[in-house]
Amino acid sequence: MRQSVGALAIATMCVAPATAQTLSQRVQTTDGRVEIVYPSRAGACGDGRSYVGHVFGHTVAGTGIYERNSGWPERPCLPGPVRLEATVLDGEVTHLRAYVGPLATDIHGARTIEVSATEAAGWLGQLVASGHSRVASEAVLPLVLADAPDPWPLLLRVARDEDRPRGLRTDALFWLGNGVIDHLGLDDRAAETPDDEMRSQAVFVLSQRPRGESIPELVEIARANKHASARRAAIFWLGQSGDLRAADTFAELLGSR
Amino acid sequence: MSRPARTFTLGVLALSIPVVVRAQTVASRTASVRDGTVRMNFDSRPGVCGDGEGNVWIIDARHGGFGDARRPCIPGPIRVAIGRSGGQTVSVRSRVGGVDSPAADLDLGNVPASDAARYLIELAHTLGGRSSNQALSAAAFADAPNVWPEFARLVRDSGAMLDSRKEALFWLGQSDAPTADLVRLYDDLEPEPLRDHATFVLSQRRDEAAVDKLIDIARHDRDLDVRKRAMFWLGQSRDPKAVKFFRDVLVR
Repeated sequence: MRQSVGALAIATMCVAPATAQTLSQRVQTTDGRVEIVYPSRAGACGDGRSYVGHVFGHTVAGTGIYERNSGWPERPCLPGPVRLEATVLDGEVTHLRAYVGPLATDIHGARTIEVSATEAAGWLGQLVASGHSRVASEAVLPLVLADAPDPWPLLLRVARDEDRPRGLRTDALFWLGNGVIDHLGLDDRAAETPDDEMRSQAVFVLSQRPRGESIPELVEIARANKHASARRAAIFWLGQSGDLRAADTFAELLGSR
Repeated sequence: MSRPARTFTLGVLALSIPVVVRAQTVASRTASVRDGTVRMNFDSRPGVCGDGEGNVWIIDARHGGFGDARRPCIPGPIRVAIGRSGGQTVSVRSRVGGVDSPAADLDLGNVPASDAARYLIELAHTLGGRSSNQALSAAAFADAPNVWPEFARLVRDSGAMLDSRKEALFWLGQSDAPTADLVRLYDDLEPEPLRDHATFVLSQRRDEAAVDKLIDIARHDRDLDVRKRAMFWLGQSRDPKAVKFFRDVLVR
């Protein structure tokens, strides 16, 4: 009986056209490495193989995230699609790594799946919402990179869900903070003065105080300070805090309670 | 030799040793060795102890207790070995506790702590790196409470190596010199890394005068990075005045 069901399933898969399969199904039928290519968020760039730049002012390389103007990297940051490298073992995604920029030519025979940003975001959203800890965390950046509707509602749910892994919630909060800064138009640093740098430093120093004191203060600054530099710094450090009150504040500032 | 004569001779010797030490300074006696090692010992200030291997601790109300039960902490004296080559001092090594190293071309024996400290600080004007570090820490551990102006002079010496000046500033901060002296010294400090270091030194004072000066630096120093560093150390102070200052910066 079990054999018949298996045979039926295989037959169905062979008959069904590839386009009728969801991205999730297409990825799961791979064993080994598969590349998912989809349009990237406006402004994002990279060299296609080692780093992603201009993601809300950050450069991402491996597991590191660097602030703008940190003097790295040296290779030009070129626009292009997201190339998401996924490792699949026994139908389960075990590792994700995203690149932006020119598509690499040396993909070593890996299968390539081109999809719309919306489809990619849908699949990645599922991974973030219910995937295993590491993959869920690794899915956050490629989700943010997709040229699709902003993922903030989903990331807010994850950040507030105490049943989800702490690392994932921290990642979600970090990108939510960047989304809030972008949403409020606080990211323009062109006219920054030394006083603005001192304000950012003051916020950082306040953020290092005991959580019971620092979080309410950061929340207040993020909500109402008259200086964009102070608000931006407060939102950034709230995003680093892993504190539930940060998620609530971000929801309020995004207008999506 | 008859018994009375021997007693007399010992008496003359006992009197002559301090006279000789004062007549020939530590510097000139050390300089008499062109190539080799000069050794000296001198008293450490109360609370200083070491493990004889170069680790030194200060146990007092300000610096706290000795927290490593695995190692003995042996009170002074401070033992210093000075390496000479071609008539120049090329190295300084110091330790507290343990025994003298066996080889020395000249052993000055026990010298007055103030003389030794002044000599070592003077050496640091021309030395750098580990030797300067060892010379200055030995001087700081010496039972010589009046040498802090010499440390301040080294801090101001623009011809000395920057790391020596920073080290001198550090020990000055750790000394009993009033915070007001450090505050006055700050205004003479160049280059910027020295002022940057001074913010840390001031922060270790944990008193009102230091907090006031850090606020002043954070408001007015000509270098933005120094201002930011002062603010960072203010944040570590947990002083209500510091918190008020941060809030002022944010609303101004």
